Amino acid sequence: MKQNIHEYLAEFDDIPGTRVYTTARARKGYWVNQFAMSLMKDENRKRWLADEKAYLDEWPNMTQEQKDALLARDYDKLLDLGGNIYFLAKVFSTDGKSYLQAVSTMTGMSVEEYRNMMLSGGRSPEGLRSKKKGY
Amino acid sequence: MARITAGITSSHVPAIGAAVDLGNTQDDYWKPAFAGFDWTKEWIAKPENKPDVVILVYNDHASAFDMNLIPTFAIGCADEFQPADEGWGPRPVPVVKNHADLAWHIAQSCILDEFDMTIINKMDVDHGLTVPLSLMFGQPDAWPCKIIPLAVNVVTYPPPSGNRCYNLGKAIRDAVESFPEDLKVQVWGTGGMSHQLQGTRAGLINAEWDKKFLDDLTADPERLRKMPHIEYLREAGSEGIELVMWLIMRGALGKDVRELHRHYHVAASNTALGHIVLEPKE
Repeated sequence: MKQNIHEYLAEFDDIPGTRVYTTARARKGYWVNQFAMSLMKDENRKRWLADEKAYLDEWPNMTQEQKDALLARDYDKLLDLGGNIYFLAKVFSTDGKSYLQAVSTMTGMSVEEYRNMMLSGGRSPEGLRSKKKGY
Repeated sequence: MARITAGITSSHVPAIGAAVDLGNTQDDYWKPAFAGFDWTKEWIAKPENKPDVVILVYNDHASAFDMNLIPTFAIGCADEFQPADEGWGPRPVPVVKNHADLAWHIAQSCILDEFDMTIINKMDVDHGLTVPLSLMFGQPDAWPCKIIPLAVNVVTYPPPSGNRCYNLGKAIRDAVESFPEDLKVQVWGTGGMSHQLQGTRAGLINAEWDKKFLDDLTADPERLRKMPHIEYLREAGSEGIELVMWLIMRGALGKDVRELHRHYHVAASNTALGHIVLEPKE
């Protein structure tokens, strides 16, 4: 059952619209994700909401691109920059947003449209399983 | 001696916890999701079914474990665990009381059985653990049984294989059966079913695949043990990988099981909700 690690990782890139949280992404996003963890404390949430830019200045190891994406709440971009949704959840929870509201922003649909899609059975996997095989 | 008396699986969607905490379980959106747990609530409250201890398999969602520490299998061994503050304040649920003697016994037994468990004492528990408790027990002042948290990494790749999870379940069963106290122990597997919380494919639901997974959880776990991670990702969405945790529950029940109850509902927030109650046949 032993799998080749290179083949194992390469297959992830074949899934449309998906960024699997590999160690490469985890390393890239280390400081974004650790920043997000800091929002589990109420005093930090208050300081963040009072002055987001000043709070980000306390995280010198984060890139400017990562900081800009955080300020813009661009979750799709943050995933490209190594963010992970469970860590980023601390950011949107601090904004009083649910997973559904935050996740919908990555789909090009309005929250209402996305919610209705979920209520009518969700997004079909047809054609979204593999880029190469197109099934 | 202690024995495994049943296995339960359940989703652990945070919005379900919020619906319980805010008193929204009977509104149009949530009613059908919660209705499928009525049977289980009644069943588990009966003295002959009520567990003394639940080994609750879940994943921590960047609450107790940040990027500094990523244990594949971590077993909570302290006397109690507080609900975590995940960004909106801790859930108003009871403190989780552990059966620490059994937890330490399982840790030792599994390590001797070649599973390199991480032992954790100071840990807050997030929605992954508290939402299934709310679904099964409602809103009591104290949880009606002891709970052993077993956290599995399904966030940073690679998570453990389904086969590894199944075999850990078998080792847990051996550990429980060698514990001298007379205890009814349930194993719960949580998370799933199909869901994807990212990118343009977000909202993916594969009801056909989920239902086959539920069928085979009872009837053909051998197929599920062999399933590679890529199949979960392609078919059930990036967060569908949580389903490997269900195989720890299944491995702990032994070869043949009886299915007592099943519930499948789309959608709970972004997720297909799956719930099953199994008992060992022998």
